[in-house]
Amino acid sequence: MTTSVATAQTLDAEAISRISDHLDEADWLRSLRGEWWARASATPPPTGDEEEWRRTDLAPLPRQGELLVDAPEVAISLPGGAAEAGVVVSDLRAAVRDHPDLVQRWLGRSQGQASHAHFWALAQAGWTGGLFVHVPRGVAVDGTIVARTVLDRNDVTYLPITLVVAEEGSSVTVLDEVVSPDGGAAWYGGIVEIRAEQAAHVRYANLQQLGDAAWNIGAQRVVVGQDATVTTLNAEVGSRVTKLGLDVDMSGKGGTSRLLGMLAAGDDQHIDINAHQGLAADHTTSDLLYLSALYDRARAAFYGVTTVEVGTKQTASYQECRNLLLSPKAGAEPIPVLEIMANDILRCGHGATAGAIDPAQLFYAQSRGLDPDAAERMIVRGFFEQVVAQIGDVAIRERVLAALARRIGSTEGMA
Amino acid sequence: MTDELVISGLEVSIGANKILKGLDLTVRQGEIHALMGPNGSGKTSLAYTLMGHPDYIVDAGSVTWRGQDLLALPPDKRAKLGIFLAFQYPSAIPGVTVASFLRNIYNAIHHPKPDDETGETSIKYTGIPLAKFRKLMEEKMALLKMDPSFATRYVNEGFSGGEKKRLEMLQMAIVAPQMAVLDETDSGLDIDALKNVADGINATLSPEMGVLMITHYQRMLNYVKPQFVHVLLDGRVVMSGGEELSHQLEANGYDWVRQQVGLPAGTGDEASAPEPVSSH
Ligand SMILES: Nc1ncnc2c1ncn2[C@@H]1O[C@H](COP(=O)(O)OP(=O)(O)OP(=O)(O)O)[C@@H](O)[C@H]1O
Ligand SMILES: [Mg+2]
Repeated sequence: MTTSVATAQTLDAEAISRISDHLDEADWLRSLRGEWWARASATPPPTGDEEEWRRTDLAPLPRQGELLVDAPEVAISLPGGAAEAGVVVSDLRAAVRDHPDLVQRWLGRSQGQASHAHFWALAQAGWTGGLFVHVPRGVAVDGTIVARTVLDRNDVTYLPITLVVAEEGSSVTVLDEVVSPDGGAAWYGGIVEIRAEQAAHVRYANLQQLGDAAWNIGAQRVVVGQDATVTTLNAEVGSRVTKLGLDVDMSGKGGTSRLLGMLAAGDDQHIDINAHQGLAADHTTSDLLYLSALYDRARAAFYGVTTVEVGTKQTASYQECRNLLLSPKAGAEPIPVLEIMANDILRCGHGATAGAIDPAQLFYAQSRGLDPDAAERMIVRGFFEQVVAQIGDVAIRERVLAALARRIGSTEGMA
Repeated sequence: MTDELVISGLEVSIGANKILKGLDLTVRQGEIHALMGPNGSGKTSLAYTLMGHPDYIVDAGSVTWRGQDLLALPPDKRAKLGIFLAFQYPSAIPGVTVASFLRNIYNAIHHPKPDDETGETSIKYTGIPLAKFRKLMEEKMALLKMDPSFATRYVNEGFSGGEKKRLEMLQMAIVAPQMAVLDETDSGLDIDALKNVADGINATLSPEMGVLMITHYQRMLNYVKPQFVHVLLDGRVVMSGGEELSHQLEANGYDWVRQQVGLPAGTGDEASAPEPVSSH
């Protein structure tokens, strides 16, 4: 059965309430959607003049695709023992049905990054699927939760929400994958919220393999509690355009975040990342490392802002964005910005590079019998090692490398 | 005639600089040749040209290996025919471990993926089994007295000069070439390392392997004995002899060679070749 409520273009308050009708939702959720719709309407979409939006033209964003209201269930694989320990991992619609109190407590509670506020609000109002992960206090989930969304349509607008909540002292590892077919210009507007409460440990990997004409307009918000640790990995492989806002709120004293990214793009792909690392509490640490391998005419922009808030003590942060240009027509524009408003900092730095492979390296590898493609593949794989080495979870590492192989080639035989 | 590397009338330039001006040299499999010459005389240029470095342009002459025109081939094809170059300045490959690199180059030369294999079959290609390769690598590392921890380090990244040279020799031992050009493999090695590396070279040598050893020092030649010694000057091999020639060079310097062959005395630059180690 397919139901049509609206396209992105015709979305209005009535259409939003038709989503609630269709999903047979309780009043709290109806009014929550309504509130977010009001915010989406009150927050105009970016004009392109904003620093964060200068590098991505939104005019061609496909707005005519129908909102996907019968989204496929998220396929979930849950490590043994997790369910018994009270961990909830489920498709967001099912979670609303089965754990309404829990979802109500956490869903739609935080504001998105200012630059992405419109799209954040749009997804909060118009979501029709997604992933819900809740780990109760003190529970450590052994193994990897894998959640896979396989879209079978490439002509729709889909605005899912991933919500991961790790309560005090808990620990969890999540791989969140999305795949869609090549060809059609779909709008994928997934948003992600990760909350690590006091002393929780969260490892979250997002593997994006959208179809080659898809527009991926995403936003992620990470809230790191006191003494909590969060590692996020964004592996961007698919889509025609990816625009991602990444907002990290380090408001819990002693919290740590590691933000890793691996981008492999070719053809006419365009990837534009806006990161914000907000160091708002004492003794917080936030390190970002984004690596891109760019082929053909692919372009990658990175605009990252680190904010060290007034009065904070002993914070440590770094942003590093490195781009390997594998074609003379590929381009990268990494722009790190530091806004330091505190005196007592441990460290705050940045590094940005963009360049081709050193020809001496290529010759060295070729002189050992590797043909130019194999030599390049090996060097690119080596380039990504800086991030790969930080992915402790074997299941995630293997899936991400397999996905990346679509672009960078197989690195089989590289032990 | 099919077991030899024949360089004849080789002229090579880089940019507007003519570096080799008609160089002749023949190295047969099973022979060890030493090539000596002042700094900047073109030894590395010759080595790079033999391996197919794209910056070195061959203006005239020929290089054949077992009767086949080497100059027509890209570097990887030359390597697959058994040619090996130990670099004077090896490159670092960040993020690629020594073990992974060695396995890749071993596979490239000894277990190449068949050209016609695409799709499914090519995806299944994995080359030498991991356990078998590990054994080979550990054996060769022991031969060169290398610490096993080098296997997990990234290729040449943060390696000392001497460690880089040892890794070059480890690569040579792993791929077991038929013709090896060693470009100052002895430079930068401490006294014990020189002995270890020389032992490693001697253990890698076989009657099927030819060696062209570029060196400034007599000391290496005490360990790896050459049957032939050549002097490169003014873009040509101007003098050749037996092992005794290296002793004469050490005693008399390159101006003596210039006098002998009727070349003007060298510039200060060339004369200040690295200090030779006194022979015993
Ligand atoms: N890329 C280059 N561009 C310009 N000149 C070059 C280049 N490479 C080499 N040369 C020049 O070619 C000449 C030969 O250099 P080469 O490295 O072959 O000497 P060499 O005999 O190996 O010296 P050394 O004993 O110091 O290693 C030198 O004058 C050098 O400056
Ligand atoms: Mg040299």
